[in-house]
Amino acid sequence: MQRSSTDKRHFIIAGVLVVVVSLALYALLYVALPLPLQASTQAATIDWVFQAHMILLSVLFALVVVFMMYAVVVFRRKDGDSSEGEHFEGNTPLEIAWTVLPLIAVVIFGYIGVTSLRTVTAAQENEVVVDVEGFQWAWAFTYPDTGAASADLVLPVNQPARMEMTSRDVIHSFWVPEFRVKQDAVPGQTTVLRFTPTVEGEYTLVCAELCGLTHYNMIAKVKIVSQEEYAQWQQVQLAAMGKTAATAGSIDVAQGDAPAVDN
Amino acid sequence: MADNEQRMSLLSIGLVRGLVGQFAGILLGFALVVLIRALAGYDEVWSTEPAWVVGAILGALGFLIAIGAMSDWFSWWRGGETPFVHGPRHPGRPTWARYFDVDYNHKVIGIQYGVTGLIMLCIGGSFAVIFRSELARSGLQFLQPATYNTFIGMHGWAALFGIFIGIGGMANYLVPLMIGADDMAFPRLNSFAFWINVPAIVLLLISLYYTWDAGWTVYPPLSLKGSPGFQLVFWSIFLLGFSSILGSLNLVATMLRMRSPGMSLFRMPIFCWAMMATSLIQLTATQLIAMSFLMLSLAREATLAMPFFVPVLNAAGVNIGGDPTLFQHTFWFYSHPAVYVWVLPGLGIISELLPVFARKPLFGYRWIAISSLAIALVGFLVWGHHMFTSAYSPNLRVWFMVSTLLVAVPTGVKFFSWLGTIWGGKLSFPTPMLFTLGAISVFLLGGLSGPVLATVATDLHLQDTYFVIGHFHATIFGGFVFPFFAAIYYWFPKITGRMYNEQLGKLHFWLMLPAFWLMSVGQMSVGVAGMRRRIVDYDPLLGGMTRFNLGFVEIVQILITISAFVIAFSILIMIYNLFHSAEVGRVAGANPWRSRSPEWQIPSPIPEQSYPRPLHVVGEPYDYGLATSPRFVAGDD
Repeated sequence: MQRSSTDKRHFIIAGVLVVVVSLALYALLYVALPLPLQASTQAATIDWVFQAHMILLSVLFALVVVFMMYAVVVFRRKDGDSSEGEHFEGNTPLEIAWTVLPLIAVVIFGYIGVTSLRTVTAAQENEVVVDVEGFQWAWAFTYPDTGAASADLVLPVNQPARMEMTSRDVIHSFWVPEFRVKQDAVPGQTTVLRFTPTVEGEYTLVCAELCGLTHYNMIAKVKIVSQEEYAQWQQVQLAAMGKTAATAGSIDVAQGDAPAVDN
Repeated sequence: MADNEQRMSLLSIGLVRGLVGQFAGILLGFALVVLIRALAGYDEVWSTEPAWVVGAILGALGFLIAIGAMSDWFSWWRGGETPFVHGPRHPGRPTWARYFDVDYNHKVIGIQYGVTGLIMLCIGGSFAVIFRSELARSGLQFLQPATYNTFIGMHGWAALFGIFIGIGGMANYLVPLMIGADDMAFPRLNSFAFWINVPAIVLLLISLYYTWDAGWTVYPPLSLKGSPGFQLVFWSIFLLGFSSILGSLNLVATMLRMRSPGMSLFRMPIFCWAMMATSLIQLTATQLIAMSFLMLSLAREATLAMPFFVPVLNAAGVNIGGDPTLFQHTFWFYSHPAVYVWVLPGLGIISELLPVFARKPLFGYRWIAISSLAIALVGFLVWGHHMFTSAYSPNLRVWFMVSTLLVAVPTGVKFFSWLGTIWGGKLSFPTPMLFTLGAISVFLLGGLSGPVLATVATDLHLQDTYFVIGHFHATIFGGFVFPFFAAIYYWFPKITGRMYNEQLGKLHFWLMLPAFWLMSVGQMSVGVAGMRRRIVDYDPLLGGMTRFNLGFVEIVQILITISAFVIAFSILIMIYNLFHSAEVGRVAGANPWRSRSPEWQIPSPIPEQSYPRPLHVVGEPYDYGLATSPRFVAGDD
């Protein structure tokens, strides 16, 4: 004789399975979704929020799929049985519960979303400002403080950086996966992106908004260096341009050396 | 009969006549542009783009006139009368010819929509299989970047045509049957709304001759540069929008006015509620995309060069022109609600089929019905979440984040109600039920990968990556493709009178579900690792190197490509199954699934007139397991 579908034992077994499957699923997602190197303060915040969402995803996925598969196994029709299932048309308290509980989750994750957004986009003291111009299909960087210009983006480690972006032709998008944050460069507007690199090394800046023929190859080198190396690099750049910091104005480097093509 | 078939000339086939008419219209449009330019004194009388714009419009008109989609209306203008009769409009022709011509029976139109939708899905999928093969390895293999960029846009729009038209198929075939109506409220408009899709498809396919490389979203300024192919795409979508608006108008009118006695709104099968919500979105939002594509068409240099979407600086350096992001607002104001257009009917199919195969009432019928309307409403308030990395007030992003997260609430109601429906049932698992359960699992993945994109901070990383691709395809396969296939298998015996082959149906399912899962999770995986969308080549070292001397991303890309081929192959099995079973399948009988829905109470295949005697509805739609609840009583005229 089959147990009634509202028997407590069904829910206890399924509940235990939900916990087990949630844990297994989160472990699986942790391996299957490999975030790149965490190389900015923003990345730390974003990764934390990302993992919180993956936990939410694992729990809710397990909740629905475990109950569904449990029903598939336990409440399957036996061969030759043509009787009907139990007759119940709904349960208003239950409906209210599964309307209100997600609403609470929305409020919690909305709060996390607002605070993390504030952290990720907050203005900092002592920002290195770089004017970024995107064009089909390369990037150009000028440093308004010194007048230096470059086709590579060079920034000092652990100092907040502010990109002031625009585009010469179509929409492009500035993205270094290791820094996580992303911002479009739009013709006729100046958009702002802030990040603080925390790990010295070389990275690749890619264009994340389809921008035409060789969009896939619209990349630039990003070098995060120590403060001393950064100061030195600025001098070298200015010398190469035949300028000093005092006389430097705005410089167009559009025709400068395009970033190396390596794939 | 044989005599008639011999005597049928090629031009008596409506589709052929229509295509000839479209060709003539296009030529007329070309000639008109040349004439105007000659009279206006241009040195070069030929200009490709204006010629195509006028040609596209006149071509569509030519198609509709030649096939006869407007003949009755013309006749009315002349004071003629065209009484509505059931049955073929040209008696004596073979049955198949009805499906290639203007026909007012909603069941014929439903099949026309459904088959055209399936064809467009296959075309859209074929583009995907081609560029997936390119992506199996890093580096450039056999596709040039320009071709690749065109194919991704073609994949998008061909598949979206398939979805819109596939939904039209389900809606036109099922809604009148489900509410006990003999036909749609406006049968002529119904046929017109279907046939306008065909010239639209022709234009889309011609655009392939040119390359257009801005993806399906055709953001300006990129879409304002480049080939005349863009114009063909804009006008193709414009025509598709006409079909959406007219079709949804017809559906709303039908559901409000044509229900049989006793069929109150809350006694309609739940699919009708899904179609109500869908139609309300299409009726009110489609104008926005029509307007934005019209603006794109006029903004291009070769037409009127109107600066809607490009900045124009005056002498003082102030922008007195337009703004590229304006397009994104109007585009997404439609295109986000459109996503709910694509999934709500499928979710309706899930809700429709579960009670039948669980032998239990639909859990919380009214909650599910209202949740569809709630999703439709909230869908209008979330468009900005497509633009978190674009350029608009940073504070506005908070509002769009919260409104987007709210979508989880009515969607959650559906999932939990589905669980309530199968809990304690007597579940059986023929192919339609398998696809329904598969759809739930896939849509769940799509839905749950949404909040991480709705949250601005994490979206700054994930926007424009393969994570979005994975999320979107899971949503669309779970919300449309799997339910659409479930619907095809489920109503196949009603349409043809014969049963599909169950073994082949199950084979289709067990190939497609795991392959889709692998593909989806794989896409999310490479996206998190840093793979951008819409790139023909990628850095194989994203996500690191593996011991197989292949980058992590490359291994996953190979798996995704294999999955894509398995999915394509499984769909071929379905197509074979449908064609073969229509000929030799076991005779199904009127109601093989023991459903309580009106369409299963009449013979299969359904006679020309579905309900010769009005249906009197007395019971609830899903009272399974309650012996004392009849659904219908025999009616008198």
